[in-house]
Amino acid sequence: MRSRLRFIIGVGLIIGAIGYLITTAIRSTSEYYLTASEVSARQANLMGQTLRIAGRVRPGTIQWDPATLTLAFGLMALPPGDDSPAFKAVTTTSGPTPALFEVISKGEPRPDMLTDNRDVVVEGRLGVGNLIEANQVMTKCPSKYVPEKTN
Amino acid sequence: MIGQLALALALLLAVYSIGANLYGVTRSRPDLIASARHALWAMFAMVTVGIAALWTGLLTSDFSLEYVASYSSTTLPTAYKITALWGGQQGSLLFWTWLLSIFTAIVAFQNRRRNPGIAQWALIVMAGVACFFLSMLNFVTRPFEILATIPANGTDLNPLLQNYWMAIHPPSLYTGYVSATVPFAFGAAALITGRLDDSWIRTTRRWAIFSWFFLTLGNLFGARWAYEVLGWGGYWAWDPVENAAFMPWLVMTAYLHSVMIQERKDMLKVWNLVLIGMVFGLTLFGTFITRSGVISSVHSFTQSGLGPYFLGFLITVAVLYTTLLLSRLGRLRSTAQFESYLSREAAFLFNNLMLVGIAFAVFWGTLFPVLSEAVRGVKITVGPPFFNRVNAPLALALIFLMGVGPLIAWRRASASNLVRAFASPAIIGVIVGIAAFTLGMRQWYALSAFSLAAFVIATVVSEFRRGVAARGHMVDERPARALVNLVAKNNRRYGGYVIHVGVVLAFVGIVGSSFFKAEVKQSVKPGESFSIGPYTLTYIGVDGSETAHLETERARVEVSRDGRQIATLAPARLFYKAAQQPATEVAIRSTPSSDLYVVLAGVDNLTGLVTFQVFLTPLVFWIWAGGVVMALGTVMAMWPNVREREAIATALSGAAESIGSESARGSAAT
Repeated sequence: MRSRLRFIIGVGLIIGAIGYLITTAIRSTSEYYLTASEVSARQANLMGQTLRIAGRVRPGTIQWDPATLTLAFGLMALPPGDDSPAFKAVTTTSGPTPALFEVISKGEPRPDMLTDNRDVVVEGRLGVGNLIEANQVMTKCPSKYVPEKTN
Repeated sequence: MIGQLALALALLLAVYSIGANLYGVTRSRPDLIASARHALWAMFAMVTVGIAALWTGLLTSDFSLEYVASYSSTTLPTAYKITALWGGQQGSLLFWTWLLSIFTAIVAFQNRRRNPGIAQWALIVMAGVACFFLSMLNFVTRPFEILATIPANGTDLNPLLQNYWMAIHPPSLYTGYVSATVPFAFGAAALITGRLDDSWIRTTRRWAIFSWFFLTLGNLFGARWAYEVLGWGGYWAWDPVENAAFMPWLVMTAYLHSVMIQERKDMLKVWNLVLIGMVFGLTLFGTFITRSGVISSVHSFTQSGLGPYFLGFLITVAVLYTTLLLSRLGRLRSTAQFESYLSREAAFLFNNLMLVGIAFAVFWGTLFPVLSEAVRGVKITVGPPFFNRVNAPLALALIFLMGVGPLIAWRRASASNLVRAFASPAIIGVIVGIAAFTLGMRQWYALSAFSLAAFVIATVVSEFRRGVAARGHMVDERPARALVNLVAKNNRRYGGYVIHVGVVLAFVGIVGSSFFKAEVKQSVKPGESFSIGPYTLTYIGVDGSETAHLETERARVEVSRDGRQIATLAPARLFYKAAQQPATEVAIRSTPSSDLYVVLAGVDNLTGLVTFQVFLTPLVFWIWAGGVVMALGTVMAMWPNVREREAIATALSGAAESIGSESARGSAAT
């Protein structure tokens, strides 16, 4: 019986250690995942934090300088009803809204799929003057996995 | 038309086989049991007709079928028309169901006479799972939807999937997923019938290894695909889709180890049933999260209405299985106990804790955005840093246990056993660590990882040497002959050791490529050079070409080292016309010491500037080499063993004889 108890303690300690690892790692690595409009509404509180922001590329705002690998574009809100931070497989075409943020990415190649009206997720730091310094710009391909019904 | 009809019949046959088996096994009606078996074979035939019909549609570009119009095109190369079968949701579900029907038919065949009583229940479980998938295919997501207006051409298979590795990755993974149903079904059958000895484990041992083999390959092919096709220089991003494939692998690995403890010591009976239930649940969970859109993934496949059905099925299975397990808990008590931390049982137990711990951390990180949104109303994500941070120390512990487990004594290791088994491997490990340190390596993690890797390989080598020496003494064989016989007679054990070597090699590759990767991003004009590590890359120029299917821009880059030209690389950018989608083709110069990985990241026609993204990744070669070694080891472990087959045959005839002699004795007594 004594050895059984000893084992339960040992196993408990290991499970505790794994649990501790998970909680501390979550605390130090997690990021908010918000839409551009949500960030806009809570801008003062989020200033200076690294966030993941889902939005849409405002048409006509993409600037790309291959010599310095600098990319800039305006990020606008996702249209209403489309405002979950989940990627949308099919990009619907609705009129452009004003850009909420200016995204700047330096030193990274231009993502292949980055075009006007594309839904993107930007990972970066929120700075003053509605500026987002992006570490990463992720695009979602306009997947035809769910073909649009054309009837 | 024929296809959908065949799937409807398959569903009816599956339902019938459940009824016939239920009635047959409870009322002892062998005729009904045989009829259920035949129904399952017919179900397999019907699903085969269904899959053949869809393949025919793809190969003949029959765009009246919505599926063909959505995932193929006239210009798609024939090989990819075949693989387009699992390029979309309905097709991949059909493929899944087909594999399940094949395995069910095989299990029905294998158990015509074997495992009476249990096998019928296992087949009922498998047919039940088949019913779920066939219902999906008949009522929710039909692969044979007809389009009212027939388009002139299809919208093509996703270009990212038009790749060799993507052709073989899904079938491998699905084979691994689906074959895990067999040990699960027998585990459930053992619970239902109350025959809770280890016969369900022994019967499905090879199925479990088979499943593990394909899960391993599936994960590796997926990683290789990400490495070659996605063009970001890595092979694993802890994306939910990847995690969904990784978790069942982890738990299946734990299962394969802990069943050895049950076979040998009659311990961990409940734990093994829990593990195999988890494996099966995770295969459904994987499909659920990748299909439901609950969790966003950069390469998630579909958001479809399938999610709730999978979740419902998953919950139903989990509740039924747990209830069953709880009701049998009293009969699953083990008499044996752990005696010492310094024993093989303990090493295996801790190995299980690590594997399940990693699986839980991956599960938690994958679901964290959903959980945080549900609990706190805010979506919070965790990325690769979370997974790396949690799993890195657990992986080190696991590698350590991998060296300890196979050599430490059962029950209680004595001091002399520990010294004899581990002294020289430990010394070798320390020497490798010191050598790496003097060569300039300073990251403590990489140092301990390489040191432990050397320790594990040394333990395996010493096991082989000990075995060969023992045979040499006993039967006086030459070492080479003794080695062959040793492995042939104990293939499960030595195959396992070879798998361990493969895992260690892959681990070395993962550590090397994660800690010592270099990256350069540069825009250049023709004739200009830049360097990474010891290499100098000179951009020569870019050529365009065009086929009916795609447009290509291919750059030429000369690679030199120490002033000598050693290679010409040709990374390209592709544009798929039917899909209207760009893609990139990476150029890789792979050597055992490091991979030079060149991406043509952009071509700017205005300025003539071409942007390259170049990675120099040490040791990544060993991940794939380790994978090959793991595959070889698994084949060794699965190989039919003459001795084992004889043992089973004598056990079976012995059982028959003992039944005979018992009745003889019975009659003698009366």
